[in-house]
Amino acid sequence: MLDPVFLAQTILNGLSVGCIYGLIGIGFCVIYNASGIVNFAQGAFVMMGGMITHVLMQQHLPLIPSALLAIIVVALAGVVIERIVVRPLWDRKATMFVMILATLAAQIVIERLTLMLVGDQPKSIAVFTDLPPIKLAGVAIGYQTLWIMGTSLVLIAALGLFFQKTLVGRAMRACAINREAAALQGIVVSRMLAMSFALSAALGAIAGILVTPTQFTAFNVGTPFAISGFIAAIVGGFGRPFGAFLGGLLLGLAQALAVFGLGSGLKNMAALSVLLIFLFLRPSGILGSAK
Amino acid sequence: MTTAPILEVRGLSARYGEVVALRDAELTMREGEFVAVLGPNGAGKSTLMRSIIGLANATGTVRFRGAALKRDPAAVAAAGIALVPEGRGIFGPMSVAENLQLGAYMIGGRGPDYERRLARVLHLFPRLKERLDQVAGSMSGGEQQMLAVGRALMADPKLILLDEPSLGLAPKVTAEILESLALLNREGLSVLLVEQKAPLALKLAGRAYVVSNGRISAEIDPKEITSHGDLARYYFA
Repeated sequence: MLDPVFLAQTILNGLSVGCIYGLIGIGFCVIYNASGIVNFAQGAFVMMGGMITHVLMQQHLPLIPSALLAIIVVALAGVVIERIVVRPLWDRKATMFVMILATLAAQIVIERLTLMLVGDQPKSIAVFTDLPPIKLAGVAIGYQTLWIMGTSLVLIAALGLFFQKTLVGRAMRACAINREAAALQGIVVSRMLAMSFALSAALGAIAGILVTPTQFTAFNVGTPFAISGFIAAIVGGFGRPFGAFLGGLLLGLAQALAVFGLGSGLKNMAALSVLLIFLFLRPSGILGSAK
Repeated sequence: MTTAPILEVRGLSARYGEVVALRDAELTMREGEFVAVLGPNGAGKSTLMRSIIGLANATGTVRFRGAALKRDPAAVAAAGIALVPEGRGIFGPMSVAENLQLGAYMIGGRGPDYERRLARVLHLFPRLKERLDQVAGSMSGGEQQMLAVGRALMADPKLILLDEPSLGLAPKVTAEILESLALLNREGLSVLLVEQKAPLALKLAGRAYVVSNGRISAEIDPKEITSHGDLARYYFA
């Protein structure tokens, strides 16, 4: 018989991991909007966020400075990838296919470097608040879940304010709408591209830092996260940051319900089914694609 | 009195793939001039504009107030040249106010200077004042063109380039926009206007160039043009 408490717990867990997918999906959208590029190195940023925080905490640095340093380092790594991998191809007007391959290659290089530096064993970091979960009508709400959901909501609100209220945010939106017209206003489009990589990388790093205490991180976790974030972005409407977040929630929920109803082996099938359903029935995604 | 050159184009050529769209264009504009660029559809007028601003793959030199211009639209904007592109290029999903603010991106989109420029644009195009919070893409074509011109003016340019501003607009709206430009020109703004509707442009311009088959084929004095036949002679020379 269906256990409503277990179902509620499943939904909560699904939404929690969905927030992570959503943040990664937003990262895809931010770069795509600024440049038209689909950056498959996005998963590497997630892995790096958790991994660098782990390494710094191993050096007895407290969580908050470790996390902040990790976010800054990953944001800088995003700019480096933009400068040495994406920009030269972009300047040569390389095709989207070439760009995707180049970012995938960057992802593999980062993975292998991480393997060489920290080995192949999974790493984790302690939960941010080490207290027993809150019980609500039989449902256990872990503090890390609250951290994930709370931080995601704060980030969504902050990103909304950034894109709607600041001149730089508006300039990034202008680049997304019409890059040529944006340049005519004196907006240095290539600078916006670098900023979009920094922002996306920082979002990926935050997602990685948030999720690592509930799972683990290893040199090769980036690709599955990238795929989930990419699906979230497509489901939400590619180029729509808020849509990507909704897509992430939907994806996390679908995966959790598939595990609940069909078994854990069908988790990935659920994710791909969600993608296929949207591609067949609503290819523009929940909010409609931005371009 | 002859003023100093504001824009000097020398040997400007541009191609799209194998197709040469512009050959060895030579053009000079002086401070405060209103110059028209005329020619039939596909003659190379827009390519000339795009080449000047750095949007087309072009060779040759462009000097602005004596200094060589970089082939970079953002640098060209920073130098003091604004282009109102064909098709307007407004940011449709954004509000009118956001579009205007982005026009003043180079001064940070705020401050007393920004407020002064905004007041001037809204005085020039009062219809924009009523629609500041409206999504730009939902306005009529004429209002969008006013916004495109207004946004360009927010940069406080020394030279404004307009590419077919009358395209798809009612004659009355076009006249309203061009009248505003004539007013700004009298206040000292240099204007380079690309226009297919030659009679409109010739009414305002002090001088005109004719572009035909990718070449600047003639420089004419608008006073000499009294009939369509006169113009056709230059177009098909």
